[in-house]
Amino acid sequence: MTSKEPLVSNTKCECGHQNPVGTVLCEACGKPLDEKELGAEGNLEMRYDGVARRSQRVNPGLIDRVWNFFSSVKIAIYLIVLTLLGSMLGTIFPQESTFLNIDASTYYKETYGRAGNIYYKLGLSHTYESWWFVTLLVMIGASLVICSLDRVLPLYKALTRQKVRKHRQFLTRQKAVLVTPLTAEPEAWVAGLIEPLKKKGYRVKIDGSALLAEKHRFSRWGPYVIHIGLIIFLLAVLARGLPGLNMDQHLAFQQGEATRIPDTTYYLKNEQFTVEFYSDEEMPEEFRGKKVLPKLYETKAVLYECTADCTDPSREPQLSEVTSHDIRVNSPLSYKGLKAYQFDYDLTPVLRSVQPVLVNTATGEGYSKFRLDMKNPERTFQSGPYTLSLKEKYMDFGLNDEGQPASKSPYPNAPAFLFLITGPGLPEEGQQYFYFPKQLDKEQFQQQAINDRLGGSGRFLELEVQDMSDVDFAASTSYLNIRIDRAMPFVWVGAGIVMLGLILGFYWQHRRIWLRVEDGELVLGGHTNKNWFGFRREIVAILQKVDLIVDEKSLDNGGGLA
Amino acid sequence: MGKARKPIQIVILFLILLLGGYAIGTSVFGGDGKPHEGSKAPSFELLGLDGLTHTLDEYMGQPVVLNFWGSWCGPCVKEMPALQAQYEKWKDEGVVVVGVNVGEDQMTVENFVKLVDINFPVIMDTGRDAVRSYGVSPLPTTVFIDGKGKVDSIHIGQLDLDSLEAQIGKLVDP
Amino acid sequence: MSLLDFSSDVFIVAFFLYSGAFMLYTIAIMGRRWSGRKPEEHTARFGKIAFIASSLGLICHFAYFITRWMGSGHIPVSNMYEFMTFLSMMIMVAFTVIFAIYRKIILGVFAVPVSIIVMAYAAVFPQEVQPLIPSLKSIYLNIHVTLAALGESFFAVGFAAGLMYLLRTVNFDSTARSDRKQQRLVEFTLFSIIVIIGFLGSVFAFRGAGYESVFVRSDVTIDSAGQGDSTIEKVSYKMPPIVAPYQSETEHFQPFLGIKEPLFEAPSWMNGVNAGRKFNTVIWSLLSGLILYGILRLIIRKPLGKAIHPVLDGIDENDLDEITYRAIAIGFPIFTLGALIFAMIWAQIAWGRFWGWDPKEVWALVTWLFYSAYLHLRLARGWQGRRSAWLAVLGFLVVMFTLVGVNLVIAGLHSYAGTD
Repeated sequence: MTSKEPLVSNTKCECGHQNPVGTVLCEACGKPLDEKELGAEGNLEMRYDGVARRSQRVNPGLIDRVWNFFSSVKIAIYLIVLTLLGSMLGTIFPQESTFLNIDASTYYKETYGRAGNIYYKLGLSHTYESWWFVTLLVMIGASLVICSLDRVLPLYKALTRQKVRKHRQFLTRQKAVLVTPLTAEPEAWVAGLIEPLKKKGYRVKIDGSALLAEKHRFSRWGPYVIHIGLIIFLLAVLARGLPGLNMDQHLAFQQGEATRIPDTTYYLKNEQFTVEFYSDEEMPEEFRGKKVLPKLYETKAVLYECTADCTDPSREPQLSEVTSHDIRVNSPLSYKGLKAYQFDYDLTPVLRSVQPVLVNTATGEGYSKFRLDMKNPERTFQSGPYTLSLKEKYMDFGLNDEGQPASKSPYPNAPAFLFLITGPGLPEEGQQYFYFPKQLDKEQFQQQAINDRLGGSGRFLELEVQDMSDVDFAASTSYLNIRIDRAMPFVWVGAGIVMLGLILGFYWQHRRIWLRVEDGELVLGGHTNKNWFGFRREIVAILQKVDLIVDEKSLDNGGGLA
Repeated sequence: MGKARKPIQIVILFLILLLGGYAIGTSVFGGDGKPHEGSKAPSFELLGLDGLTHTLDEYMGQPVVLNFWGSWCGPCVKEMPALQAQYEKWKDEGVVVVGVNVGEDQMTVENFVKLVDINFPVIMDTGRDAVRSYGVSPLPTTVFIDGKGKVDSIHIGQLDLDSLEAQIGKLVDP
Repeated sequence: MSLLDFSSDVFIVAFFLYSGAFMLYTIAIMGRRWSGRKPEEHTARFGKIAFIASSLGLICHFAYFITRWMGSGHIPVSNMYEFMTFLSMMIMVAFTVIFAIYRKIILGVFAVPVSIIVMAYAAVFPQEVQPLIPSLKSIYLNIHVTLAALGESFFAVGFAAGLMYLLRTVNFDSTARSDRKQQRLVEFTLFSIIVIIGFLGSVFAFRGAGYESVFVRSDVTIDSAGQGDSTIEKVSYKMPPIVAPYQSETEHFQPFLGIKEPLFEAPSWMNGVNAGRKFNTVIWSLLSGLILYGILRLIIRKPLGKAIHPVLDGIDENDLDEITYRAIAIGFPIFTLGALIFAMIWAQIAWGRFWGWDPKEVWALVTWLFYSAYLHLRLARGWQGRRSAWLAVLGFLVVMFTLVGVNLVIAGLHSYAGTD
């Protein structure tokens, strides 16, 4: 395969091995290939064991150039630093996504003045969704893939075909080096080292009077495992956005009502919402009477699945309970990928229905109860001998611009009903009666006066609620965040792989010791990817076993300790 | 390995380009998932005041004016006569005006229809499903849908007779 | 005596043991020339005593932690005071681990004070036990916060070793331009540490004196319905107000050195009442830092860096470089697990999203990216040694901003951590 590429004279090593273009140290014997490097002193560049990265070749085309760009660690570092700086910028002011409902174009100017306006105009108010930030992340992803591919295969090849006997210069230019006279018989002396090395966990290979001991090679794969994990993580994050994999909505659940979760067949009922605060005794003295600390937010929730008549709005859906859970912060309801999180609450009671009775104020006689729903009420009611037909209904009573009665909102804040009552003692065409179920509204809108005007002086009927048990209201509303996130498992798998790679790469070190005994001299070279200090100590301990006493520091051949 | 090298590089770069393009594309143009001009109008299935279930599909091939309203919203009340007038004017041309009531009960809707005296079809979005899928926030909002089921334009706020006529005219005779 | 009382007592014991250990480490290094013994012997002997003292301190610190946990019913990492005390404990743990590996007595002279400063900083915050709010009631409070703090503690040791490397290698006698620049940067780093000490000193001095001045400001906000709503905000200064909050009135002013009113008002862009107070604290810190630095310079009559440089004589700079790198390499996986992965798991369970670009999250990411860049740069030639040491120093600044700065300057979901 290599013969087809233009031959460059210096890639063939004196040991006979033909190296690919870009090789720094001969793949076989480790001799520095560059003439300049050969004459130089100091430590060898041991990155990727001096093999050529895949991208290094003569006459690069466009594809190669792009590939080379992303395969460069320098570029990767630039990308990391740019992402870091970009992320910082996004924290100067709160991001738009922090707010549920703002008009960003005016919010930043009003809240933070001119700086805020500039921030908004630069698009920094949505930094993390901006094209340039996402582009940076994509480029980091590309760099992760290409950097890894470019190095991991050659490194794998280099590590699996290591020669035991290395060039002398390869040994003496490592960062841990020992050159010392040795009078013992070479092969026997080397063989005596096998046991102590094995005890330390090394795998030992011998070639005559040369030796290669190696351990924890897997640690070299750590960085690549991290990169694979990060790629999976990034892909999973990207996949979250695919249609159907993700749902995120904030919904209100009134106590006691099974409410449909849009885009699903599920209904959720808030059976009870509880909020508790710490009592004075539970608070430190300094806070008593000054601070209120919440203790618990809890929604007792039941999840139903619709089994029939789900989409037809003209029919009542058939529900069957599938699960129930007491939703708290840190304890969401979870069912087949659907999750419901406690988000917010509202303790304003919402009136649902009342069961008033018609009372004859002249005789004090009360007639039968009937049920008046705030939503979709019946149109006619019977109370004793009287028939009440509902004519008008206002959820949030008020007067419009023309002074006509009208609803101010669709919410039952101040419900009002206009009945036409017919029956004994009333005019033929009936008598109009205005009814405000809430006591507060009765007074505020002067129910008495309105009805006196509608019914005249002989009016003798009133609607009254006789007992609080006849009033049905939702005590509270719980706001839940309903989410589906089908890609999450992959996010966790990615994160797990990253963690695995970190542990492999950082808590073990790939250690190699080469030595050759020749001409009454021991030449030892050692290489590790981290923790030279511990490595030197280990070499000293091993040599001690064969009665060779060396000072730890004397092994240090200087140079930076990468 | 050596021979497969170039194709592998090309495939990987292509995949990066594809996924990266998708990532950047969705972040820049993806927006909020709400329909905008030119996008397909989301379908709905809602109960009409006539007691029947109505969907957008049944008006396929006809221009549709979808007006989201609530009885408590002043501008909605005010624009009703204009909608009614335009409904009468264009119905022979196949234009459908549909009122979508937002979250109120049948009685309120019935009374309102009687009060403002309209007779174009009215459907009730009690669960606010259509509101969500159309991304409606303030009322009234009117969505103009052409015969191909594409959103032609979205008008937020009160409509007047003339602008309504112009919009519908555009739907009928683009 | 209740558990909580015992807890705070034993905490103070730990503080004094650390301080004692710091002095012993210093004696072990500085005293080697004038002790009469052989320098190595002296260092080894005092180093051993110092290590015993710092280990005893760590045991007391643990006792504080356990008894406070038992006394309060939840792990004491739920507010700024508790977190900072925990962080200082973890810095001692990280120091002990690195010390056990490298046996460098000199490390104690630089790493132990980092822990002491963090411990003193903790005491700035209110110390009472607060019950947990619902969002903190989770096992992930225990895991996320502790692991993040442990990882960051190794970065702190990396910072100490990096600073040592710089003090060891910068040529303080040279007048060459590049050396002058390095001298100035080292001096600035040391000055920044002095400012922090100045801040702590002024906080405790004025607290000891019981100083307080109060300002009020009434804000009128118009809500959407056109209703005027006026809120009265009060801010209590525990340091003499050099600068008053923007548009505020003095409610109570305790004179200090004849000053009877604030010297000036905070600029308008510092619009919170607390912004003025924080600004005032910054001024006091700088002021007392400058005074402290001035006094030190007057005593030793040369730049601090130059004065400390001889202390590190004879220490192998390559060892310092390796310690820096090793501490960061040990801390990085722990930090990733604690500050990012468990943070994401918790966020997913509590808020339904594993990542929300909350400022604290972003800064944890910034820290992670910073150290990732550091680790990649170590691969490149020319980035070991000097540059790498500067990165380790800078990195710890990023860590501290993430832990403290974000809470003080940027509010977000983590703002409940009790910053004042």
